Amino acid sequence: MLVFAKRNLLLYFRDKSAVFFSLLAVFILIALYVFFLGDLIADGVPDFPAKHWLLLSWIIAGVVTVTSVTTTLGAFSVMVNDQATNAYKDFRVTPMKQSVLLGGYIISSLSIGFLMCIMTLLVAIAMLFATGEPVLSFTQIIQSVGVIFLAVLTAGSMISLLVIFFKTSNAFAAASTVIGTLIGFLTGIYIPIGTLPAYLQNMIHIFPISHIAALLRQILMDAPMAEAFAQAPVEVKESFQLNMGVVFKVNGWQVSPLVSVMYLLLITIIFFILSASVMKYSRR
Amino acid sequence: MQTIIEVENVSKSFGHVKAVDELNFYVTKGSLFSFLGTNGAGKSTVISIILTLLQPDSGSVTVNGFTVGKENEFIRKEIGVVFQESLLDPLLSVQENLAIRAQLYGMAKQEILSAIQRCAEIVDIHSILKRRYGKLSGGQKRRVDIARALLHQPKILLLDEPTTGLDPQSRQQIWKMIGHLQKEHGMTVFLTTHYIEEAANSDFVLVIKEGRIIAKGTPIDLKQQYSADRLFITTTDHTALRMHFLHDHVLFQEETGGYTIDLPNTLAAIPILHKYQSLISSFEVRKSSLDDVFIRIHDREGGRLC
Repeated sequence: MLVFAKRNLLLYFRDKSAVFFSLLAVFILIALYVFFLGDLIADGVPDFPAKHWLLLSWIIAGVVTVTSVTTTLGAFSVMVNDQATNAYKDFRVTPMKQSVLLGGYIISSLSIGFLMCIMTLLVAIAMLFATGEPVLSFTQIIQSVGVIFLAVLTAGSMISLLVIFFKTSNAFAAASTVIGTLIGFLTGIYIPIGTLPAYLQNMIHIFPISHIAALLRQILMDAPMAEAFAQAPVEVKESFQLNMGVVFKVNGWQVSPLVSVMYLLLITIIFFILSASVMKYSRR
Repeated sequence: MQTIIEVENVSKSFGHVKAVDELNFYVTKGSLFSFLGTNGAGKSTVISIILTLLQPDSGSVTVNGFTVGKENEFIRKEIGVVFQESLLDPLLSVQENLAIRAQLYGMAKQEILSAIQRCAEIVDIHSILKRRYGKLSGGQKRRVDIARALLHQPKILLLDEPTTGLDPQSRQQIWKMIGHLQKEHGMTVFLTTHYIEEAANSDFVLVIKEGRIIAKGTPIDLKQQYSADRLFITTTDHTALRMHFLHDHVLFQEETGGYTIDLPNTLAAIPILHKYQSLISSFEVRKSSLDDVFIRIHDREGGRLC
C-alpha cells in the first residue's frame, strides 16, 4: 500500500506547476483576507486591545481549515486521473488487491493535504511574525497540528466518497472549484457566523468541517482573546465567541472541544465505511 | 502439446449486449497466438477475462492451470500485459516507472534493479532509462511498455494491438522483439490485432465476430481456405478473346486494360492460359493477401462456425 502511495506522492509533486498553483490559491486567500475581508470585519467591530492579533488569528484558523479541504481534494486528482486515462488498469493487472490500491490513493492524498496545511501554518506563523504579533507557542503548534491531522482525515473521508462519482478529470476540476468556493461559506469562514440567519447557522453547525475551524480558533485565539477581553465583562466575550464561530451553541447548549473531536471522528468513520461499501458495490 | 490458456464455453453480456457468446478455444504453450476481430468483436472482453479484470457470466477460463475468478492473484503473476494505450506515468522517468511497477509485484530492491536491467536489455531501452516516459516517441514508449510487461518474468505475454499507431520501422522492430521473446525465451505470446498481415508469423489465428469464432487455423490454412486467386489477362485482340470467353462460358470481369477471371486455386490458371495462349499478350496470377482473406471471412459471415 505504501509503495503505491509513494508513487502517487511522486506523481503529485513532480507536477511542479500544479503544486505551485495549489499553494498559490492559499496565498491568494490569505492576501484576500489581509487586504479586503480583514478590514471589512475589523470595521464591523469596535476597537479593543489586541484587535489586529485577534482578527489575524481568526483569519489564520479559517484559511488553514479551507486549505485542509481544498488541498486534500486536489490531491485526489491523481486517483481521478488514473481512472479517466485508464492508467488504473495497469495497476489492476498486478497482484495488488483493489482495496490496497484504494488505500494507497487515500494515504497519499491525506499526506499531501497534511503537508500543504503544515506549509500554510508555517506561512501563517511567518505572517504573525512579520506583522509584529506574538507567534504561536509550542503547545499551540502541537495542538494545531493535531487538529490539522483530524481535519485532513475528516475531509479525506468525505472526499473519498465524492471522487467515486467522477469519471473525468474535467468534471472533477469543475467540482473542485465549486467546492473550494462553497467551503468557505459552509464553514462560516468568509464572514462571521453571527451575521448569518439562524437556518444558515444551523447548517454550519452540522457541517463537520466547521468544527475544525472552531477548534483551530479556540487554539489560536486563546491568548489574544484573553488580552482583548481582560477588562470586558464575560457576556461581551461570550457573544464575541459565538459571533465569530469560536464556539458553537446548539439549542442553547455549548459544544465543547471534546464533543467536536468526537463528532469529527464519528463522521470520518461513517464516511470511510460509506465510501468503502459504495466502491465495493459499484465494482460489480 | 501443453495448453496454457483454456477458454471453455465462455459467455459475457453487458446489459442486453452479448459481447462474448459461448466461446471455446485454447492456446498452446510457447506458441504465438493471434486473436483477430474488428472493433467491437469482443476481443477486449475476452482479454479482460483472461486478465482477471472481468468475470465471465458462464463458462470457465484457466491460465496455466489457475482458474479465473478463483486464483486471480496467481494468474496475474503469470501474465505480462501490454495494453493498447500507453499507460505508464508520463511525468516519471522510465526507470522510476519500471521500479514502481516491479514493486507492485512484490519484488525486493535488488531483484528490481536486475529485472530492469534484464528487461531493458531485451527491448533495448538502456539509453532512455533516465528520460521521462511522456517525452518518448511512440515506438520508444511501446518498447518500455513491453519491458514493463516482462518485469515479473511472466510465462505469457499478452499484447493488445501492440503496433497500432506506430510507424512501419517501429512496427517491424516490435515484431522482431515479439518473435525473439517467443523463440529465445519460450514465452507464450497472445496478441490481438486487426491487421491480419501481422498475424502471418503466428502459429495459430482465431477470428471472432460478435463474440463468436468465425474462422481459425494457421495463417496458411486460412489463406488456403479463404483466399481467392484471380487471373489477370491483357490482350491485343479484345473482340476475339471476349468471343472465346462467351463461347466457352468463362466468367470474366472487364478491368482497365484487361480481364480478370476468378480461380478456385492457382493451378487452375494453367489450362486457361494454354487455351487462349495465342490471344494473351501478358498475364498475372494475383494471390489474395491476408487482408483480403480477413475481409472475405467477415463478409461470408453467417456465423460459419468451424
